[in-house]
Amino acid sequence: MNTTEIDVLEFAERGEEVPHAPVYWVRIDGEKVKVETPRPTGELLLGKVGKRPCAFELIEEFVHGKNEVVEPGEEVDLRKKGLKGFITAHKEIVTIFINGDPYPIERGERTVKEILGKVNETPEGYILLEEKNGPPMPLPADKPVKIRGCEVFHTQAQSGGSS
Amino acid sequence: MAYPQEQIDELKRYCSKVSGLTEGNATYLLLEGLQLPEGCEPSSCDALLRPFKGSDGYPSQLYFAVQVKSPYSRNWNVSNARICERNWFAFSWNVNVTSPTLVKILLAHLSGFTKQK
Repeated sequence: MNTTEIDVLEFAERGEEVPHAPVYWVRIDGEKVKVETPRPTGELLLGKVGKRPCAFELIEEFVHGKNEVVEPGEEVDLRKKGLKGFITAHKEIVTIFINGDPYPIERGERTVKEILGKVNETPEGYILLEEKNGPPMPLPADKPVKIRGCEVFHTQAQSGGSS
Repeated sequence: MAYPQEQIDELKRYCSKVSGLTEGNATYLLLEGLQLPEGCEPSSCDALLRPFKGSDGYPSQLYFAVQVKSPYSRNWNVSNARICERNWFAFSWNVNVTSPTLVKILLAHLSGFTKQK
């Protein structure tokens, strides 16, 4: 790290003002990441540790013990005095995507009926498909779906039956 | 019988290779290494999509290279059917898709593995 790079934690621990610099090093969940702007968004910072706002929230940590949640679109001032770094946490209300649109839902095991209900559809009329490590595949209507956040679903009108 | 290229491309997401096989005047689609829904065994196998009405009366049919084990037992009423110089298996599943595309037909057949009846 050269003099044009600032380690935000070091300045926070010394209680010093953080100067302007082209590169800032910040800790997110203890991992040191490089940020090339003094005002990154919450989403950008989450992305630095491979996480997305549909499943995780970002929390600012300060030396005096105060913590603050950062919204995905909110800009964080890395030069803010006392900013130690960030931690991430699983959201309880996460975002899933159905037919391309985002919907909030509680994390955990959810029913197909509940997920289809988000788009005003029912298992009697529609198949729920999940796009997970491959193309969208039909999900059984009577088995719970594990929701962790960021899942991608599609729906298709029911059209088949035992003959 | 030719199928729209964009629909063939959509099918390619579900398998390793798509090719047209002709028998008589009809063109079937060979889906090599078709991915099957979670809980199926095997998890993928070759399949043959017949996206048109056949002599069995079904508006479409999806044949499998093997009899697949799935979360719900199915009535495998087609066994060792010889089509395009290969033997195929199929279960009784009637599909009627509105505004059908090849992928919609395929998914409607695959949903047969994930539905109780």
